[in-house]
Amino acid sequence: MNSVEPMIRLTNVDICFYVQENGFVSMKDFLLHPGKYKLLQKSFVLKDVNLQINKGESFALLGKNGSGKSTLLRALSGIITPDKGTIELFGAVAPLLGLGVGLEHELTGIENIKLSCALMGMTKAEIKLRLPEIISFSELGEAINWQVKRYSTGMMSRLSFSIAIIKQPEILLIDEVLSVGDLGFQQKCMKKVMEIKNNGATIIFVSHNFEEVSNMCTRAALVNDGTVEFVGSVKEVGERYNHLFDN
Amino acid sequence: MSYYLKFAQNFPKAFMTKLPLFNKGFQNAVLSLALKTIKLRYKNSFLGIFWSMLNPLIFLTILIIVFKQINHIEHFALYALTGLIFWNFISASILQVLTSFIDNASILKSINLHPFCFPLSAMVAAVFNLMLTLLPFFVIMFFLGYEMNWSFLAFFPFTIITAIFVLGLGMFMGTVNVFFRDIQLLWTTIIPAFFYFTPIAYTPELLNENQRFLLKLNPFYYFVESYHDIFYRSVFPSFENFGMSLFIALLSITIGYAAFNKYRKGFISNI
Repeated sequence: MNSVEPMIRLTNVDICFYVQENGFVSMKDFLLHPGKYKLLQKSFVLKDVNLQINKGESFALLGKNGSGKSTLLRALSGIITPDKGTIELFGAVAPLLGLGVGLEHELTGIENIKLSCALMGMTKAEIKLRLPEIISFSELGEAINWQVKRYSTGMMSRLSFSIAIIKQPEILLIDEVLSVGDLGFQQKCMKKVMEIKNNGATIIFVSHNFEEVSNMCTRAALVNDGTVEFVGSVKEVGERYNHLFDN
Repeated sequence: MSYYLKFAQNFPKAFMTKLPLFNKGFQNAVLSLALKTIKLRYKNSFLGIFWSMLNPLIFLTILIIVFKQINHIEHFALYALTGLIFWNFISASILQVLTSFIDNASILKSINLHPFCFPLSAMVAAVFNLMLTLLPFFVIMFFLGYEMNWSFLAFFPFTIITAIFVLGLGMFMGTVNVFFRDIQLLWTTIIPAFFYFTPIAYTPELLNENQRFLLKLNPFYYFVESYHDIFYRSVFPSFENFGMSLFIALLSITIGYAAFNKYRKGFISNI
């Protein structure tokens, strides 16, 4: 990278979960004193996150379970809005947050493609245009007309990967989803991800598997207890990540 | 009190600007989800649409056998059937809107889609289902003595008002249901009681003045009576029935949307 152009910029981002803890007792207080009591308690998931990810970069997020990695990705894909701070995105985002989500088991492959694309905000005309491309990439052949309940797990993830990837995203968010499917399809996915990357897209990769990450990414961030503790090269971050488990 | 007042003032603005109602992609998402619901309902069943008709027909038989003895009106069967069809529509669609957030939890958590899509598509599916079942029901209604005239035209705008009422009430309870799952159970428990609190098995004329006053505290009263006006009395809904329905619908969508909009930030962490 000769010029550094930001693709994603997070400034002082706080993200909270809203949990109700006190049951119906709090409901009474809430209704009797409008505006005074809060029905839901805030608990911080991410606190004061500052992060810049540059154009064309492959960036990894490493961290323990429950450290806030997935929440960060959800925030980047627009599913959660931050409570404080700003998230600036300089391109279209495609989240791969969980393969098989939104697939309706009683419907056929084709019907599911149409449904998922619609949920992703595509119009009818767009879907019609992309349909053949999705079908051919999924390599499901005859099975595209089967009900999805007859699919194997691998076939389902093929279908959803093909759907998610189709919009030629400028920012691709991957949440530990590529480890499903058979070896052939895994390689194909990786190849496709690489192709998207070579076209100049930015890739953010969440994992707690360091080896997976080190093959793909150049820079990484260590997420721990809802804060970004350290940003640096994959090697440095990997070392610090391993230290977390030392004692 | 000023808290509520301030809220009411800001409401129309918030409602119009924050919702992607006119976005083509959003519209397509709502329709696709609704279509999915309809498809799934009838996919693996042999009798298909007739299951939606069976429940009112069974109840109709009961009402004709038992309640005809106390209701000495002309065409009681038509009165009962009209009430049953629309009572079923209202009570069933409220439940579908109520559970729409929980039913779509996985989509809510992983796809960037405005969550208003879920109750709205549940409502669209319910209206579509009503239209589908209404066609065969019309045959029965004509058979039972329905005389169609211009007042029929009131059916379409009035159904939109009903849908707005259902959407608001369902969305309010659906929002609370995300945090307290008791709401769903509470609703399914009290809805049979409301059936007898609404003039379906009997006419309001059967009651005395005081009892009728109580009856009119029930919001469902005005909706079911409006449908009685259209399909049983073959007249346009009375000013009271129509006006109150409209008022209740607007109140319902205001409160429902407000609750939804305030607490939807908590959906992801509680669903």
